[in-house]
Amino acid sequence: MSENLSACMMRMVETDYALSDYQSDIAPRWCVGCGDTAILTAMQKLCRDEQLAPEKTVCVSGIGCSSRLPHYMNAYGFHGIHGRALPVAEGVKIRRPDLDVFVTTGDGDCTSIGAAHWIHAIRYNMNMTVLLHDNQIYGLTKKQASPTSPIGQKSNTTPFGSVLLPLNPLTVTLGVANVSFVAQAVDWIPDLLYDILKKAFHHRGLSFVRILQRCPEFMQHRFDDYVRDPSKMRILTHGNGLRLSPEVSRVYKNQETHDPLDMGRALAIAAIADEIPVGILYNDPSVPCYDDLRAGERPSTPALVETVLREEFDKVTIWPDDAEPVAAE
Amino acid sequence: MQHQKMPGTTPSHGPASAVNRPALFARYGTLEDLRYDYPLVLVEDDKGGTQFRPLMRLIDDALGAVAQPGPAGEAQRQQVLRLEAAIRRRVAAGESGRLSDLWRTSAAALLQAQGEQPFGPMDTNLDRARERLHADGMVIGCDAATPKAVLSHAWHAVHRDKAAAFRKKVDGLILRLSDILKADFMKSDEAHGAEALKSAVGQADSVGIDFGALSGILARARPVDRLPEDRLHRIGWALSVLGGQRFYGPVRGSELLPGQPKPHSYIFESCARALDAYRERLPEMVEFVKALTTAELEAEGKYRPAQHDPVLNAYDESDLTAEQEALLPAALVLLRDGEDDIAETVRAFEALASGLPIKVLVQTDDILGTTSPEPSRHAFGGGSARLAAMAMGTNNAFALQVSSAHLYRMRDALVRGMRYDGAALFCVYSGATPSVEGVAPYLLAAAATESRAFPTFCYDPSAGPDWARRFDLATNPALEADWPGYRLDFEDGTGQRLSIDTAFSFIDFAMCDARYARYSQPIAQKDWSEKMLPAADWLTLEPAMAVARVPYVLGINAHNELTRCGVAEKVAEAATRAIDAWRRLQELAGIRNSHAERLLAAERVKFEARTAEAVAKAVAAAAAAAPASVGPAPTVAVVASVPAASPARAAAPSAAATAAPAASAAAAPPSDLPWIETARCTTCNECTQINAQLFAYNDNMQAYIVNPDGGSFRQLVEAAEGCQVSIIHPGKPRNPDEPDLPALIERAKAFA
Repeated sequence: MSENLSACMMRMVETDYALSDYQSDIAPRWCVGCGDTAILTAMQKLCRDEQLAPEKTVCVSGIGCSSRLPHYMNAYGFHGIHGRALPVAEGVKIRRPDLDVFVTTGDGDCTSIGAAHWIHAIRYNMNMTVLLHDNQIYGLTKKQASPTSPIGQKSNTTPFGSVLLPLNPLTVTLGVANVSFVAQAVDWIPDLLYDILKKAFHHRGLSFVRILQRCPEFMQHRFDDYVRDPSKMRILTHGNGLRLSPEVSRVYKNQETHDPLDMGRALAIAAIADEIPVGILYNDPSVPCYDDLRAGERPSTPALVETVLREEFDKVTIWPDDAEPVAAE
Repeated sequence: MQHQKMPGTTPSHGPASAVNRPALFARYGTLEDLRYDYPLVLVEDDKGGTQFRPLMRLIDDALGAVAQPGPAGEAQRQQVLRLEAAIRRRVAAGESGRLSDLWRTSAAALLQAQGEQPFGPMDTNLDRARERLHADGMVIGCDAATPKAVLSHAWHAVHRDKAAAFRKKVDGLILRLSDILKADFMKSDEAHGAEALKSAVGQADSVGIDFGALSGILARARPVDRLPEDRLHRIGWALSVLGGQRFYGPVRGSELLPGQPKPHSYIFESCARALDAYRERLPEMVEFVKALTTAELEAEGKYRPAQHDPVLNAYDESDLTAEQEALLPAALVLLRDGEDDIAETVRAFEALASGLPIKVLVQTDDILGTTSPEPSRHAFGGGSARLAAMAMGTNNAFALQVSSAHLYRMRDALVRGMRYDGAALFCVYSGATPSVEGVAPYLLAAAATESRAFPTFCYDPSAGPDWARRFDLATNPALEADWPGYRLDFEDGTGQRLSIDTAFSFIDFAMCDARYARYSQPIAQKDWSEKMLPAADWLTLEPAMAVARVPYVLGINAHNELTRCGVAEKVAEAATRAIDAWRRLQELAGIRNSHAERLLAAERVKFEARTAEAVAKAVAAAAAAAPASVGPAPTVAVVASVPAASPARAAAPSAAATAAPAASAAAAPPSDLPWIETARCTTCNECTQINAQLFAYNDNMQAYIVNPDGGSFRQLVEAAEGCQVSIIHPGKPRNPDEPDLPALIERAKAFA
């Protein structure tokens, strides 16, 4: 009704957030060379470019190196318990749909102890951006194998090398009902990391971004081959996906045009073993969001809650003659 | 078609054989046996739907879902159709109620009448069909109460949608502002006091907890950033205004507490009261808009007193915009022509011209008005038939004129008018004219449209910037003609079957009215002469020619005996006025537009002159080049090189585009033209009644598209939807400016 007036009056209040407005007073305590730093920077750039009000932005995390990220963002944050970042974020989103919600979670937090929440969060498809920081190891607890650790990975819990094939978060996510956005990024190509985050943020629904990140302490050389040899990176491009800048395109020549609506090809790309695909694997904006479906006809104002409670009590009330309830409209 | 008897040489005078109906009414006996748009079901809570649907269509849909195709489902179809007829008879007898109730009582009566047992095969079949009805609501017939019932229902449906959008928006803001206050409260001493903590923990778990100590710890640890006092006050004020608004009532009865002011009513019996109420509520509206704006800014944390206070303090009723008012309810004024003071009509136009969101229904039961002592020129009323046309003159008011018979067909326009931001006038003729006896209101209402006494049209200012998009006349029959024409079959005195083409004119309509029957007296056959001319043709004669001829119309008496009836000057004049008004509407709709025709004629003259000149030059050149070979060949060759079509012919509907009547329906035309599987046509008259310029019968009495430009895409789609055997394919729209095209194209997809 008063959109024009409100919009006009809101334009009177100019905001110009800089990158520093999203940096908290706490300096990051990640190891030197940690990929988490690149992810934090990409997020802060995104917030600045989208001019997200810090008081309207929420970062929710679980437990792990990656989950320290909310401390370093000047926004609302919720450092949750292990594996439970997604349910907390869902609670925030359903009660405050006006907030922009980001979830940062690690390979242990998401794909191990939080796996059940992960599957159902994909299915619920609530409007939020989920960043899976996947360094393929438990770093915070000093090197234990995670579900995404490569086979043969030696660690404190697998001193003779892990014996199971790693879980592929991309194929798992793509296989869940109601999946609407799946992308993969790597921390060592910041341009594409930013572009993918931006696409994920603008997607209406749950955007799942797996970010392969280097762990200089416990997985020193895991991605060296890929970092040094750009041809081992397969960049996915499309009119509805990533559009590469000339600079990136010149370096990363191994490109594939992939339609983000092509689920069959997305699954095939997700399963590629010898190269790392980077880009939007799947994007279907038509998938319904749980928060939209459950929004209901009207919000539960305090008065409505009280009314409903009173109605319940009235069911066992004997009405005096002069106090009959008023008929509805 | 029912055969008519010719009265032979016996004069059809006298009360027993008084002619009281137009001849074309002979084919309609009792409407109760026919399946047509009535009874209508006013569908409850039809989200995004049409809000009212003919019972016939609901039952067809249900049967389509449950009855097996072919002979296997025939028994069930017959049983359900018998039940439908029973419901129709009950409604015609004045019974009303919800469809589910009427279905139940009618089914029980039918079972008893047929000697069928409950839970037997018939009961089971009826029950299965009932489960597939997918709609319920009041069932209404076509009578004097119909316009008010349908319009009120449409208004309520739109009002309900607006109320839901309003609550979602306003309640969302109330919730967000309440959250802000709650968050602030949680930082207060009161929230962290020992008592508050104890009640939060509950009786069972409170043993052994020192709430005083806990309160002290929390008080030391909690943030001190409380909301400033002015912000608290502002949010509290916005909350009280939003929560106390009276524009929409509560959804739940118990939300309205005793002593709380009741919500405003928006249904009025007069425009004066509606306008007064609007003025009285203006301060409330201004207060509400300010509170809403404040709430939106506060919810976003963007209210800056220094910048925003001056804007809101200066805001007054002159700043209200149509967009802002669109969220609030529109008023509905229910007027009845003839019952309300003439001053009320003036107020109605005042309201329409104001552009305020006021929806005015003017129901008229009597188009012709009472016979007055004034000269004949003014004797026939017709005032009510001019109201909507006059409303179009205000330019920004939505205007719809429709008779009850076409209410369902004009449902989209009706809802558009209700949703329109500004004022809207709905002129509806009920067909329940007190001075007409023996003709069902539905039939009379349909006749009013057919006879141009009450043409159907819609003027929608929101449809676009020009008349082509705003004005819609397409629902009327025979759009291009003065009167629609029909074939009448009858028997002569010897039992010989004959047929003639006859027009249905204003005079035929007036004949139904007992007050005007004396102007159309039967003429004995012995008095028939060569001078007699059908009135529709007579009306087109020049005055000098007209005096030498005697106009007549065909009428029938209670025994379906056909005769010619003379036409008195008074009726002829009224018919002339009606056709004049119709031609004006035609021009507004771009049909036989005088400006365009004049331009076209001038262009034709120029073109023909150029052509003749070119031919003459070419002939001269050919003769000069080959003086020895005298013959017609060069001339023929030159003429053939001249453009084949003149501008006039090119502008007219292309005959080449018309599907051939005898064309086989086996193959679909390759283009986007509409087409009909003619060989499968069952001659049900459904499409030809919609528009005879568009649909016609071939020699086998099977329908084909006679002129794809003879009607609108809407008519093609409606015909396709109404076609019992689904053989009409609307093709692609031919007029890109037709209103509601996207929705129509969507509906047409089912018949691609």
